[in-house]
Amino acid sequence: MGAIKDIATIARWEVKKSVSVMSRDVLPIAVVLFVLLIIVTGFVAQSGLHLQDGMYRLGVDDPKVAGIFTSDTRFTVYETDTASLLANRDAFDVIITGGQAYGSPTEKGKSALQTLQRDYTSYTNGVYTKEGDLFAAYPLWIDVQNVKSELDFVSTQNGQLVSSAPSAAAPPEPQGGVTTIPTPSPTIGFTQEQLRQELVKSSSQTSPISRYTQVLTPAGASMGSFETPSQLSPPLPFDSIILVFVFIFPLYFTSQFFMMSIMNERIERKGEVLLSLPVRASSIIIGKALPYLLGMVSICAGLTFYLRASPIIILPLIPVIFFFLANALLIGMLSRSFKELSFVSIFFSTVATSYLFFPSIFANVHVISLISPLTLIVLTLQGTAWTVTDYLYSTALFWLTSAVLFYIAAVNFREERLFSEKRLLPRLREFLAETLSRRHPYVSLFLLAVFSIPFVFMVQMLCLVLFFNLPMPYSLVLLIVFAALIEELAKAVGVYTLFVQDPSFLSWKGLVAACAATAIGFLAGEKLLLFVTLSQITQSVFGSVLFLSLGVLWMPLAIHFAGVFIVACALKYGGRRGFVAGLAAATAIHCLYNLTIILGWIG
Amino acid sequence: MNGRHLSIIAKKEFRGLVNERTILLAILLQLFLAMFSSFLMVGLTSMYDPSSLSQYSHFRYRVAYAGNDSPVLDYLEKSPDFRVYRMDLSPAVAALQERQLAAVIYVPGTPPDAAGPVKITLYTLTNDIQSAIVDVNLKDTFLAYERDLRQVREYRLDEQPIPVQIPASTGGGFFEFVYGLLIPLLVFMPAIISSALVIDLITEEYQHETIETLISTPVTFAEIVWGKVLACELLVPVQAGVWLALLMVNRIPIENAGLILLDVAVTSLILILLGALTALHYRERTAAQFIFSTALVVVILFVLALPENPLNLITRLAVGMAGTDQWLILGTAVIAVLVLGYVTHRYAEKTGLEHHTA
Repeated sequence: MGAIKDIATIARWEVKKSVSVMSRDVLPIAVVLFVLLIIVTGFVAQSGLHLQDGMYRLGVDDPKVAGIFTSDTRFTVYETDTASLLANRDAFDVIITGGQAYGSPTEKGKSALQTLQRDYTSYTNGVYTKEGDLFAAYPLWIDVQNVKSELDFVSTQNGQLVSSAPSAAAPPEPQGGVTTIPTPSPTIGFTQEQLRQELVKSSSQTSPISRYTQVLTPAGASMGSFETPSQLSPPLPFDSIILVFVFIFPLYFTSQFFMMSIMNERIERKGEVLLSLPVRASSIIIGKALPYLLGMVSICAGLTFYLRASPIIILPLIPVIFFFLANALLIGMLSRSFKELSFVSIFFSTVATSYLFFPSIFANVHVISLISPLTLIVLTLQGTAWTVTDYLYSTALFWLTSAVLFYIAAVNFREERLFSEKRLLPRLREFLAETLSRRHPYVSLFLLAVFSIPFVFMVQMLCLVLFFNLPMPYSLVLLIVFAALIEELAKAVGVYTLFVQDPSFLSWKGLVAACAATAIGFLAGEKLLLFVTLSQITQSVFGSVLFLSLGVLWMPLAIHFAGVFIVACALKYGGRRGFVAGLAAATAIHCLYNLTIILGWIG
Repeated sequence: MNGRHLSIIAKKEFRGLVNERTILLAILLQLFLAMFSSFLMVGLTSMYDPSSLSQYSHFRYRVAYAGNDSPVLDYLEKSPDFRVYRMDLSPAVAALQERQLAAVIYVPGTPPDAAGPVKITLYTLTNDIQSAIVDVNLKDTFLAYERDLRQVREYRLDEQPIPVQIPASTGGGFFEFVYGLLIPLLVFMPAIISSALVIDLITEEYQHETIETLISTPVTFAEIVWGKVLACELLVPVQAGVWLALLMVNRIPIENAGLILLDVAVTSLILILLGALTALHYRERTAAQFIFSTALVVVILFVLALPENPLNLITRLAVGMAGTDQWLILGTAVIAVLVLGYVTHRYAEKTGLEHHTA
């Protein structure tokens, strides 16, 4: 009960303090800027973004044709007679004469032709949608029915082939039962006017600004699954980009305030008063974080309400909020100066945003997108349902890592850590050292290894996302190397920390015991998390690289042990400088092990 | 203003950056972004431009055709991308679910010249990168059939669009993305980093209460501010230059690299001076960074909405399309720098006086 009262008091202080900092003359200017932002957004919507203006030169000999393309600012259109067009062909990226377009053979010319094609299509669509007889202009409609496959993406990595050998001349015979599919009705259940409205609406989406707003209020729902052939294309990722910024930006800003509030306690030892209170460090942290947490949740709720989206999208955002707060707390505690704070936090937010954003591009295309909670938001906005398993799958890592980070921050929230002036990496090591118990070093190492697993997975997932679009052999090789390096690094960190604190710790007996504790902990954590969440990825070729160790137990244990053992020996003989060499050797051996397993597995 | 004093301050800031190794983080950050943008190039642009996706594999996808005969069947049979099977609808969809097929097409018996539309039903798999590729290939077939149908029904149209024949072009899909988005973004990022940095440098002196020590030296307050601005400004063309060099090493030809650097250097000075002014006004990092980053969004959006803006100039310079109007843009930017520089100088002098009297 006492703790709750403490937390409430500290939260109240925090609010009071930040309000007093803010209200001076920040708030009025912030309001002015916000109003300006709205005005500027309106201006942008009207005038468009002029980033790509005048990229191409287009030469035309017919003023009517020129009229089609002048509205596209990417083209600088020159109107002259046919003869001078042909004479100065090289000066243009594209020329159109006699109703025929010719592009220059450069990359730029090819790109200009593609842009021209898109513009022309949207022009013809504009003419066609005005036709009185819409079905003469749009005679063909495609009704896209999505069928859920029983097999999962296990079989279709990266656009790999699903079907068996294509040489078979006979049509395939379904192996399982056949459910009768009703013959589709040959008519569309919509009037010409309804369809026309939808066509006008979807062609107006070509302006980048209006496209942002379209996703957020699900459009096209009235037309069901009907599309004209030209609308049949893979879903554009633009929408998820905007979504990420709509939701992540306010979170990023608010966590910056939290970060600064922590940092401010450390400047000139201002936080000493707070630390001298008879309150537990965890209460201080929770109390300081609480206002920001509530603020972030209410911002998200406000956005959701504003976008008239289903309130369920807050669920995947909550672990993301915790993750941001936990990282802000640690960064605020770790950095020595404002510069460091800026760079570390920009770095963190870029990495975190990439992790959140890149998978969600593939929301409609690939199951791998589910490793980002934002994909769940995209799905919700589209009206696609997701399951509790999906939720666990995409948020588990965020929950776990935030919890671990909060714990590390709580044990380190003390005078000697907060007011120390050491460099970033030694400070990180000290922070870790604080979590390792002197009396039970092996238990600590075991636990450290277990809890490093979610971080390892997160980084490996990031690598997976990064590499998954490279051509096949490279992506696999890079993934093997990085997966091994990350694992070895995570395992070595505990031993390294203990060694730096007390080199005598690595007696032969201590060394072997420490390595064993780490290896067992790592294996246990790996298996635990795997069984909870990641079964989907583990069965794929990529997954087999990351999580090889599911098979027999003693082999992965041996390789985990060997890895730390190499690093520990390198430390024992080479001192701190031996660490990198040991790490490289351990990574190499780990890679070899992975390779043999995979080659044996596939070949 | 004393040049030596300026360089002393700038050197002090550089030493701080090197000492803390934060500059390393900044470089790491940019490398990371470069890595991701290479991912973007392949991943994202293949989504923008699906034709690059379908070059991915030369594989004949197995599709089933159900319903009545139509030209679609001929198109599919002639296409090198597909192997077509005539099947009944229900077993075909069952085979699709077992992934023995990539898609199922049902075509009804609607005559080409019917009053209503022809409605084709396409069954594909959800959440599958392969069905995205299949859709792209099928789209061509459907477009061809749509053209045929339009021709049959042509006499029912009120107005014909002006005909322009555009040859199908392959490649070039990355061009607009690289030159129209990636290059301005990468080259401009150091400017944004530097303007955030100048705020940190100035507010730090206040919040760590080192400002009094600095003022007690022969260096004037205005010189302190200008020294910090100088340090941040110098970082910009260096980083942007490295970016351009890296892109060129990656066989992305960039014209007018020198002019691009000049443009970035001038434009970034506007942002850095804005940052310095904000920092001088608030003297506290939280408020200054918050106000500045909000203002930055407003300014950048506004500038992007203007035709002939400095960011667009980078794009046009890189593709060799900038005319004489580039000097007009640059001149406007220089005037903005001069005005802001004057305001900053006066503000710094005024603040300096306050500090001395206090």
